[in-house]
Amino acid sequence: MSEKIYFNFQGPWSDAATELLCSDTGSWRTERPVLDEEKCILCGFCAMYCPIQCIEMKGQFFHSDLNFCKGCGVCARECPKKAISMVPEGEFK
Amino acid sequence: MADKKKKKRLSKVFDYLKYEDPFAKGVSFCAGCPLERLVRFVPQVMGNDIVITGTPSCSAPVLLGQNGKSWHKLSYYGTLMTGAASNATGLARYYKRAGIDGTVVCFNGDGTAADIGFGNLSGAAERNEPFVYICYDNEGYMNTGIQKSSTTPFGAKTTTTPVGSNERGKNLRRKNLGLLLAMHKIPYAATATLSNLEDFAKKLLKAKEISKKGFCFLHIFSPCPTGWGMPTDTGIEVCRKAVQTNYFPLWEAENGKFSFTKEVKKPKPIKEYVKLVKKFSHLTEEEIEVLQKDVDYEYAVLKQLSLLDQECPLPD
Repeated sequence: MSEKIYFNFQGPWSDAATELLCSDTGSWRTERPVLDEEKCILCGFCAMYCPIQCIEMKGQFFHSDLNFCKGCGVCARECPKKAISMVPEGEFK
Repeated sequence: MADKKKKKRLSKVFDYLKYEDPFAKGVSFCAGCPLERLVRFVPQVMGNDIVITGTPSCSAPVLLGQNGKSWHKLSYYGTLMTGAASNATGLARYYKRAGIDGTVVCFNGDGTAADIGFGNLSGAAERNEPFVYICYDNEGYMNTGIQKSSTTPFGAKTTTTPVGSNERGKNLRRKNLGLLLAMHKIPYAATATLSNLEDFAKKLLKAKEISKKGFCFLHIFSPCPTGWGMPTDTGIEVCRKAVQTNYFPLWEAENGKFSFTKEVKKPKPIKEYVKLVKKFSHLTEEEIEVLQKDVDYEYAVLKQLSLLDQECPLPD
């Protein structure tokens, strides 16, 4: 054990320094958020309220990381311009 | 259109998110649970050097980790519901004595804070221990199967207060936990919710500052989509309605001086909040009136307290 482990992102009960657990939460999704770039005003409300924090600035717009998006729809509901719509996953397969 | 130039008007909340999110991207919270936003928000604002202690609750499977692995990079100490605040006391005293500059956050649900661990929470508040106690209030024991707790409001349907021929939801009223803790004359007590993130971030930073000297209590309203019967996308909407109807007013008390941080000028009737949540769907007009009276009473008490121009700080 290193001499001072406290507050170095490493607690006595976890091995966070090596790797983190991560589930495939993208597979839970039944609907996918689709952004209409015409209507987006870049307020960032979707990225702010996203529970998973998977919406990030990609290029010029906010897009969600579909590997982790659970499809809860909070981003679509909170968008002040209704620029995000939830489209069923079946339409993409 | 990529060529169209748009002015970037980012929300002010992003100025408060100064630290990285220490959690893995895919964690096992229910889809749309505001609690997930809450656990990510606390370290994003307060910094990744906080130590979290917590109890068996909805947050525990993620905060505690599974199979010897961790979901996040924070330090976490899992403890029992009967001694949550006592454990945090020990940690806070150790860091103080060792001269380590750290913030201890005791992160519990309403079952621990209001029912099982209320005794030692009250004790820690009375002793003015230097840590932050965050209670996320989802109005019931959601992790064990939606049983009622003492913060469950009047009329709510849970598995221990069912709706049938003999019973119509909880027939008792809720405990106002924030007010109870503020009456311990602690340096800082506040309520916050996830629809007003800027207000919440300010309160977290204030709590971090004040917790170097004394006890801070934050009461966070966090709806439960699974237990309350809400669509997964309405988590933030329900928080906002709870503030607008004064069901969950946002206030803070610094050294006993009460003030509203968001005063609703024209509160909406509680009916608008009730219709969003399925656990209230059986309520009749008279029963909604009982809930309205309860909400009005709690608000009136707070209003009178906010008019008092008095403080009672502890001398240094």
